[in-house]
Amino acid sequence: MLTPDENERYDRQILIEEIGREGQEKLKKSRIAIAGAGGLGSPAAFYLTAAGIGRIRLIDCDRISLSNLNRQILHWEGDIGAKKVDSASMKLRKLNRLVEIEPIDEVITEANVSRLMEGVDAIVDAMDNLATRHLLNRCAIEKKIPFFHGAVRGFEGRAMTILPGQSACLRCLYRGPIPEEKFPVIGVTPAVIGAILATETIKYLLGIGQLLTNRLLMYDGLEAIFTEFKVNRNPECDHCGGIIL
Amino acid sequence: MSQANEGMPPEVHKEREFMPIKVHVHLTHRRFTNGQEVVAVEGRTVGECLNHLISQFPKMEKALFTKKDKLHNNVEIYLNHTSAHPNELAKPVKDGDEIHLIIMLAGG
Repeated sequence: MLTPDENERYDRQILIEEIGREGQEKLKKSRIAIAGAGGLGSPAAFYLTAAGIGRIRLIDCDRISLSNLNRQILHWEGDIGAKKVDSASMKLRKLNRLVEIEPIDEVITEANVSRLMEGVDAIVDAMDNLATRHLLNRCAIEKKIPFFHGAVRGFEGRAMTILPGQSACLRCLYRGPIPEEKFPVIGVTPAVIGAILATETIKYLLGIGQLLTNRLLMYDGLEAIFTEFKVNRNPECDHCGGIIL
Repeated sequence: MSQANEGMPPEVHKEREFMPIKVHVHLTHRRFTNGQEVVAVEGRTVGECLNHLISQFPKMEKALFTKKDKLHNNVEIYLNHTSAHPNELAKPVKDGDEIHLIIMLAGG
C-alpha cells in the first residue's frame, strides 16, 4: 500500500498506464543490487532511487578521485578521498529517503559474489572490467536472478538483458580475456547506458515492455545512432549452456 | 521461362544484379581503412571476406588477428545483425550480406 507521501512523490509515473499504483507497489517491494557506483552506477542508481525501488544494495570498493568526476555524477569535489559507497548512499538518501540504501564496501570476488547477490530480484552490471562482469554473470545464472549488462568506451556503449536459462548470457559472447586498459570515456556515454540499465530493470520488475533479451543494443554517440544485434544462446557456453528454465 | 520463375513479377526475370558483401568497419579501425566505414568485399565465408578486406587494407590484419585465423578476443563479428560467434570465420556468406566488426566494451 502506498502512503499519501508516496502517491504524491510518484504521481507522474503512476500516471503511466503500464505502471499505475499497482506497479509502484511492485517497485516498492523490489530489492536490487547495483554492482559499481561509478560511471554507469551513478545514473542507474539515481534513476532507480528516484523511481522508488524498495531496497538498493550498492557495491563498490573504490575511493573517489578527481579523475572520476567527469562521469561519476554521484560523487562531487568535496567527496574526493571518500568511499564511493558512502558518498553514493548519502546522495541517494537525500534524493529519496523512502528507498533503503545498503552500501557495501567490498571487492566482488569469486568467494563473496554469491553472498553479495543474495536475496535480490535483479542485478545491475555497472562494473568497469570484464572479469568481474563474468563473475556476476555466472552468479546471476546460478541463482536465476535477471542480470542487466551495460558497458562503455569513449562515445560508445552497449546494453543487454539476461534472463537466466531463457536468453543468451554475457558469456555466450565470450572469446577469451582481454587486456585491462585505462578506458577513455566522457560522462554522457554512461549517462545514456546507465539510464537504459535502469529502464530495463524497471521494465523487468513490472513485467512490462520488451526487454533487451537476446538483443545487444549498441549506442554510437558520435553518429547518434543505436544499432541492434541479435545474440543467440551458445549451447557450449560454460555459464548457461544446457540450462533451461 | 523456367518453372521457378512462374508467377514472379516481370522485373525478377531479368538477370540478378550483383550485390556486394559489405563489411562495416568499427570506428577505432577506420584509421586503417582510410576512414572508410563500409568496404565491399567478396568471399564465401566470413573468413574469406576478412581476407579480402585485408588485401585492400593490409593494416586491418593486425587490428583483427593475433595470428593467422585467430581473432583478437575483443573483436566481435555480426553477420546480418546476428552474432556469428562461435566459429565466426567459417560462417558462410552470400551476396548482399552485411558483416559488422565490433570491439567489445568493458568500461563502466
